[in-house]
Order: sequence, then C-alpha cells, then structure tokens
Amino acid sequence: MKFYYFHLMPYTMEHDEASSWVTLSNRHYDPAVGHTLYHQYLDQLEYAEALGWDGICVNEHHQNCYGTMPSPNVMAAMLVRRTTRARIAILGNGLPLRENPLRIAEEIAMLDVASGGRIVSGFVRGIGAEYYSTAVNPTHSRERFYEAADLILRAWTEPGPFAFDGQFYRYPYVNPWPRPLQQPHPPVWCPSQGSSETVEWAAKRRFPYLMVFTPIKRIAQIYGEYREACERFGYTASRYQLSVNLPICVAETDAKAEAIAREHAMWVYHVGLRMLPQFWQPPGYTSESSLRRLLSTRGKMPTELTYEDLEEGGYIICGSPATVRDKLRVFADELQAGIVCSGMNGGTHEKTLEMMQLFAEEVMPHFREDAQVDETVGVGR
Amino acid sequence: MPEPTVLVVRDTPVQLLRAGSGPPLLYLHGAGAGGRWLGFQQKLSQRFDVIAPTHPGHAGAPAAEWVEHISDLAFHYLDLLDTLGLTRVHLVGASFGGWIAAEMATFASHRLASLVLIDPVGIKVEGWIYPFLFGMDLMEMVGMIFRNPVAALALAPSDMSLDTIVEMYRQSTAVARVAWNPYLYDPLLRRRLARIAAPTLLAWGAHDRLAPLACAEAWRKEIPGATLQVFDDSGHVPHIEEPDAVAAAVTEFCVAREATS
Repeated sequence: MKFYYFHLMPYTMEHDEASSWVTLSNRHYDPAVGHTLYHQYLDQLEYAEALGWDGICVNEHHQNCYGTMPSPNVMAAMLVRRTTRARIAILGNGLPLRENPLRIAEEIAMLDVASGGRIVSGFVRGIGAEYYSTAVNPTHSRERFYEAADLILRAWTEPGPFAFDGQFYRYPYVNPWPRPLQQPHPPVWCPSQGSSETVEWAAKRRFPYLMVFTPIKRIAQIYGEYREACERFGYTASRYQLSVNLPICVAETDAKAEAIAREHAMWVYHVGLRMLPQFWQPPGYTSESSLRRLLSTRGKMPTELTYEDLEEGGYIICGSPATVRDKLRVFADELQAGIVCSGMNGGTHEKTLEMMQLFAEEVMPHFREDAQVDETVGVGR
Repeated sequence: MPEPTVLVVRDTPVQLLRAGSGPPLLYLHGAGAGGRWLGFQQKLSQRFDVIAPTHPGHAGAPAAEWVEHISDLAFHYLDLLDTLGLTRVHLVGASFGGWIAAEMATFASHRLASLVLIDPVGIKVEGWIYPFLFGMDLMEMVGMIFRNPVAALALAPSDMSLDTIVEMYRQSTAVARVAWNPYLYDPLLRRRLARIAAPTLLAWGAHDRLAPLACAEAWRKEIPGATLQVFDDSGHVPHIEEPDAVAAAVTEFCVAREATS
C-alpha cells in the first residue's frame, strides 16, 4: 500500500456563526498566527517525506477556516524545493473556478519540471461553497470541468500552437511553455464524494478515484461502481486507481488515541465543515438524479456526527498501532484500495510530529509488500 | 384557477394558465410564483384575456437546456405570442418576469399595447448591489421579499416531499442559469431601455428591500415617458401584498391605452 500525507492547513478556531465558509468574517484570521501555522504545516509535510511517506498532498479551498490553501499550487511550489523524493499531489485544482484554466496547465507543468516529475495533478470541481466565493455560475460547473480538463490535457499532450474553441474557454493559441516533464502528462486524480457522473468520467480515462471523507460502506459501493465502469471500458482497474482520504489518529494505546481524536479530530466536522445548506448545494451544481440519490440516502450533516459515528462508520481510523494496522487491512485487503491519503492531528505541532513518527515506525512497514511498485505506472494517464 | 394547458413553442412545451375575456394580456411571473393563479391575475381576468405561462424549469415545468441568457426567455415569449397568433398584447411582468418583459420590450415594443413592470430587476443601478438571495435561507429570503411575511404563504410549497424539493432545486437552477453572475441584471439592458416605445407603468412597493425605490427612479429615467406608481404597504411584490390596488392600477392603465390606441 502507498501512503500519502494529506494536509488541509486549517485555521483552527471556535466561533458561533452559522457557517465556517463564505461568510465567516476574515477579521477572525490573524496573519501572525497564520504565519506560524503555515510553517508548522509545511514542516509536517516535509517531515512526512523524511519518515517514508510516498507522497504529500495539498488542496484548494476558498474563504473559510477549514483549509487555508486558496492556491494549492503556491504550497506545492514551496514543497518542490524542500523535498526530493516524495510525490507532491495537488488534490486538486478547482478547474471550473478558473476563468483561465490554461494557467493550471502552465502552473502544473512548471511544478512538474521543477520537481523532476513528482507532481500528481488532481482535477476537482470545488465544493458548492466555492461557487459562492468565486461567483462562478454553479449551473456551469460540470460543463466547465469537462471542458477545462479537455483543454489542460490537450495543452500538455498536443504540440502547440493549436486553437481551442469551447463553450466557456476559447484561445486562438494554446502553446504553454514549459511542457510537463512526466510523459504524456502528470498523473491525474479525481478526488470526489461519489457522484456517478464523475465515476464514469474518471474510469473512462484511467484516472484514480479518491474518496474524500466518506463512510466505509459508501466507499465500498462507489469502488464497486468504479471497477464495474472500468470493465465496461475494457480494462481491469489497478488498485492504485482506488484511493481513500481519511484521517488517522494513532497513539500507544487505543484509549490514548481515542482521547486525542475526541479532542482534536472532531473540529473538522463540527466547526470546519459547518455550513449553510445552500452552500452545500448551490443551484445546478448537482444533477437532479444525484440530488435524488443524495436526499434519499441522506445521513447526518458533518456537524451532527459524533465520535462514535466517525469511528463506527469508518470515516476515520483511530487506535493503537496494532488497531490501526487491523483497520487499514480492511482498506487494503477487502476494499483493495492501493493508496491511503491521511492527515493527522496530535493537538500540537510537536505531538503531530510524534504521531507521524509512530505511524511511520509501527504501521507503515507492515504494508510494504509493494515497496518496489511505482503506483503511477499505467494509471492516471 | 383555470385548467393548465400545454402549448409547444418552437419545440419547447410551455405550461399555460389562461382565463378571462377582453384584450390579450401576457403576464410573466416572478421567481417562485410560477404555475399559480393569484388573486392579482384573477382580478385582471375580469377585463383581460390573461395568458400566464410558467417559465421553463419553474414550478415543476421541465427545464429548457437551451436557455443560457435572459434574452433567450424574452425571445421565447415573443415566439409564444407568434404561436398564439397574437400580434399585440398588454405585457405585465413582476420581478424576474419584469426583467424578461423589459428585454422583450427593447426588442419588440411595437408588439406591446402597454408595458407594466412590477418591481423589476434586470438593470445595474449605481450605488446599489442586489442582495444575494441564493445565499439566504428561507426566512431571510421572505424578509427580503415581503413587507408582511404572512403574504409569503401565497407562495408556500404544498409539501416538502422529495419530488417537491427536486422541483424547487430545478427552479432555482433555472434562475441561476441566467441570473447568477452578473447577479439579477443584464449589463446590456439599461442602455437599450430608451428603445421602448410602448406606454409604460412602473408599479413599485415602497418598502422593496431587493430593488428599492432608487432602482425605480433609474427605470423611470431610462424608459421614455414611463410613469411610476408606488404602493405604500408593499415590499418587493406589491401584486401579492396589495393585489386589489395593484390590479386596479394596472387595469386602469391598460384600459386607458386601449382607448387611445
């Protein structure tokens, strides 16, 4: 199994407002605190490489305290020069949110060349709230996503210059310098929460599918749909096309791990993902069929989840090294997931580093049957 | 309430409510009032043949994927007039429907015996940014639209079943498609308002918080000869909050234009 260290870079704070997104005033953001946090978070990502993680991950979110990386490519650029081995996975750039998505083709190519071909390029639509923050019309979200992805992939692979004439994006000259180092282009991943349209689109292109913050039952269901779609497209999915993003909390004993998770892992759900309903589902962002599926199977909102829900639902993995190994086995052996992206939170920077070290020493070595395999060969392209 | 019928306009099915007798009057509803026969429409139908289509995607009507811009809806309703064989009508539009009506008038005001705009949106007014309804919950929205929140019950959904929620989502999607950004206006419309040659009445709620009276002044300035009538006990939807007074004013205005045309 491959391990990627994932960071949200949250601005951890308490507040009484109805939403941590879009409308939470940025007067709450103290840049001096932010300076310290950025450096701690980047230190953690760099430490993950030193401890043996295969990749480190950044991601894009706007106008919130949940994740303070409006430009993931800026963070990736900082990591490129401070790391030498680990893949740097940008999970991902919100394609429809850009007025000029050719900039994404350019920025990823820059990072790929500078990093010596270590970039993984996630393509996402951005969550609903992002359409309030950027004012991009959410009813165009899916069409813009497909069109921007097509543009970027062509910009990476077709010799320029060529003309591109889409519904939303039009260029007389597509000819980005530099070109990416990885050929034909950096691996593309699709982080998603399981919309059937995205499953089809990713499976068709062999783009790995990353389930984000989803209960394990639903992960199993979506993986099944993805594998089935791959078969329909005439191939069998590699295990490295099936990845999962879930927080891990490990400590010497189960009781210690639970105490840490209860104190620090709940913030993401209870505060970080607190949001007005309309921010989850702006008009036209979701297809009617996906909305029906969502409403008829609707579980709890993130703010309603208890620690027990997270633990029993398999939203998080928590426990002693032995317990964490057992729980990871379910993902490795039963779900046949090839890549686990995980963030950790020990409560303080130092305790987080300790937790990472414990995981790297006591858990990771037990899942290294595939140490010699390159997870990007044959997938994502 | 008249029995709804379906009329096919250039391959797009249109749900239609039609009642009354007299000169034809096309009524374009605001967002959230589609498929309804309000007291206001009933009163107008005493003197006019009131034709009230439901906008595509509203009130359970199927969405029309080809609608990309507010002018698509304006041409859609000019096509509807052609389909019905009506060369000249009184045109009444409220709020979002007023925006469509104003666009129609800039393209084809010779087709209009008169134009009535009830608290329309659709133009940029200096110093004013329309509050973003898409970001509001239901109670905030009601507070923004109605002076008297009880009047909002006229537009309440019949239930909150899965089907109803999906229909409401389809409706807000249809509005967002043409009105998310720029929000509630067409940058090209304001300069074109000078082309409107039809006699025009602006009916406005004194307490409109979405498009306050300053907006009414901008419309009055741009449309040649337009008259403004303010309704003192209304917010954004005077035809729902003071249906008798607004219907009387509209009837009087349109009947007078019948006499002079």
